[in-house]
Amino acid sequence: MTAALDRVLRHESILGLLLIATLAVLAGQSEAFFTADNLLNQGRLMAEVGLVTLPMTFVIITGGIDLSVGSIFGLCCILLGVFWQKVGMPLPVAMVAAILMGGVAGLGNGIIITRFKVPPLIATLATLALYRGLAEGIAQARSVRGYPDWFFQLGQYDFLGAPTQLWILIALFIAAAFVLGMTTFGRTIYAIGSNEVAARFSGLKVDRAKLVIYGTSGLISGLAAVIFVSRVSTTRSDMGTGLELDVITAVVLGGTSIFGGRGTIIGTGLGLILMQALKNGLALAGVKGDGTIVVIGAVLIAAILIGNLLSRNGDG
Amino acid sequence: MYRTMVLALGLTLGTGTIALADSPWTGGDNLPTSPLACDSSGGGGGAAAGNYDGGQPTGAPDLKGKPVKVVDVPKLIGIGYFNATSKGIADAAKELGNVDAKTDGPTQANIDQQITFIDNYITSGVNGILFSANDPVAIAPVLKKALSKGIHVVGYDANSQPDAREWFVNQAQFNGIGKAMVDDMAKEIGEDGAFAIVTSTFTTPNQARWISEMAAYQAKCHPKMKWLETVEAQEDNNLSFNQATTLINKYGDDLKGIFGMTSVATPASAEAVTQANKCGKIAVVGLATPNAMKPYVAKDCVKSVVLWNPVDLGYAAMYVLRAAIDGDLKPGATSVKAGKLGELQIINGSEVLLGAPTTFTKDNINDFDF
Repeated sequence: MTAALDRVLRHESILGLLLIATLAVLAGQSEAFFTADNLLNQGRLMAEVGLVTLPMTFVIITGGIDLSVGSIFGLCCILLGVFWQKVGMPLPVAMVAAILMGGVAGLGNGIIITRFKVPPLIATLATLALYRGLAEGIAQARSVRGYPDWFFQLGQYDFLGAPTQLWILIALFIAAAFVLGMTTFGRTIYAIGSNEVAARFSGLKVDRAKLVIYGTSGLISGLAAVIFVSRVSTTRSDMGTGLELDVITAVVLGGTSIFGGRGTIIGTGLGLILMQALKNGLALAGVKGDGTIVVIGAVLIAAILIGNLLSRNGDG
Repeated sequence: MYRTMVLALGLTLGTGTIALADSPWTGGDNLPTSPLACDSSGGGGGAAAGNYDGGQPTGAPDLKGKPVKVVDVPKLIGIGYFNATSKGIADAAKELGNVDAKTDGPTQANIDQQITFIDNYITSGVNGILFSANDPVAIAPVLKKALSKGIHVVGYDANSQPDAREWFVNQAQFNGIGKAMVDDMAKEIGEDGAFAIVTSTFTTPNQARWISEMAAYQAKCHPKMKWLETVEAQEDNNLSFNQATTLINKYGDDLKGIFGMTSVATPASAEAVTQANKCGKIAVVGLATPNAMKPYVAKDCVKSVVLWNPVDLGYAAMYVLRAAIDGDLKPGATSVKAGKLGELQIINGSEVLLGAPTTFTKDNINDFDF
């Protein structure tokens, strides 16, 4: 166990060094990059993806995956608008209801996975289509606009000098790191990912843990959706399309093993920041959009290769 | 416990659907329409300049005649239509000689990515931004941010909220397109013919607007025509073909005409009609680029194709942006000079009208190459 921990830490230190190097290079490429204004703005832009990476880290550590987060995100965007404008709920109630519906959608994933023993990849691939379809069906191509000004506090304005959603991200980041690293629940998650059968025979409540993490995944996707609607001030049913890919990329880049049993929240945070820094820095340095995705792909492969190489050396 | 939750999900979704299903829906948006008069020929034009309703940059530096750096962020890159607008922008920049213009944008029509692109260009410090909005409201905050930093903002092709940009180059008025399309269709299938529509997605603002205008104009001027169905085909060639084929099979002889709302759907619908051996029995009218339609027009399967010239659209947008940066185009102006296109008229407060849409027929289609 300690050996595994060392390995994880090693991946994180490599990632940390890589991040520092990247930041240095990018800062050299464009004067606009390393300014407080730009960095805080990037915090705003990465908050939605960042929030969803937290539960995704838990999910992937158990050896699972949740492909439906982007669709739950879209569904919650639409539900927020519908609850508020069509059903007539007060906006704060609609916000809570939309987030809760995200949790229900996530629990739906959890039930399919635990009760019917469907592999998470298949189950969430199905709900990826299902939830997006629901979102489009409910929205009927109409977007909901005209939110009151106070609602934009969440997504467009600052709180104590930094974007409001960045504070939410930081708070949940600390909470997730605590739960995963310091609690019995966190250790249960690692145990499921390392050997699910052994975890079951050890008397761990595997199914309950899975329900909790998939439900949380939906819940946080809903929260991210509400923040996103506040940032862009409208709802559309195609919101969050492809979100799952950004989220999974950040988590895997952060050293979480797709086979389960390995990964940390700190690593995920580093992966997220590295990805956002690359996107932003390369754009500022004048690299076009298609070039940027090529670089991100290359960095992902490089980070994983280096990680594998070192861990093999470590095993002797 | 789970069952209750699933039930709750079902119920809420159910009520949501009911709440929205209050009016029959044709694929249009629910904004007000303004159908043109039935008799006058041609579409577009004729609108008054109106009061300026655009936004203005704050503290923009005086760059009259100086070299400037501008960026063009279309809905997406890598499709024929935006390659053509991008070419027009590059042509105009070259002609002007003092503009460094580049086109960059997402590879999918994604609002979040488009916003991020614009945000990054604001940070990197450009003097002007050209855009074609994936969503008129979602793009507004980031454009307002650009204005607040003294960056000039001009839209083309797909508009944002008026106060989020200075000017918008309108390729053709929505009601002009609506009239041209419906009149062409009525001419081919008669006053009591039934038709269906193949559109991109129900969320695309331009298509939804055109469909609304078409519905309004049809109700006003060709009330006996029958509207069968509107189907989505996502600007995807294969899907458009399949959807058109499904329409042909589903409605059989009742279907007299198909509208193609995108430059992808129209040729695909024409191909579906050709393969079903229905040339002459089912009319295809739509928006499309001439190159894609030449084979069908040559075979007489399609009589007329409606579109503006996207190269001219990009070209005009670049000239308008330069005029705004130079201070030559101010709120209240009634026209603007756009190089080889001459004087363009200003309509609806802050829109620059490119001109009436062009109808391509067998006689003139070979004169165009885009």
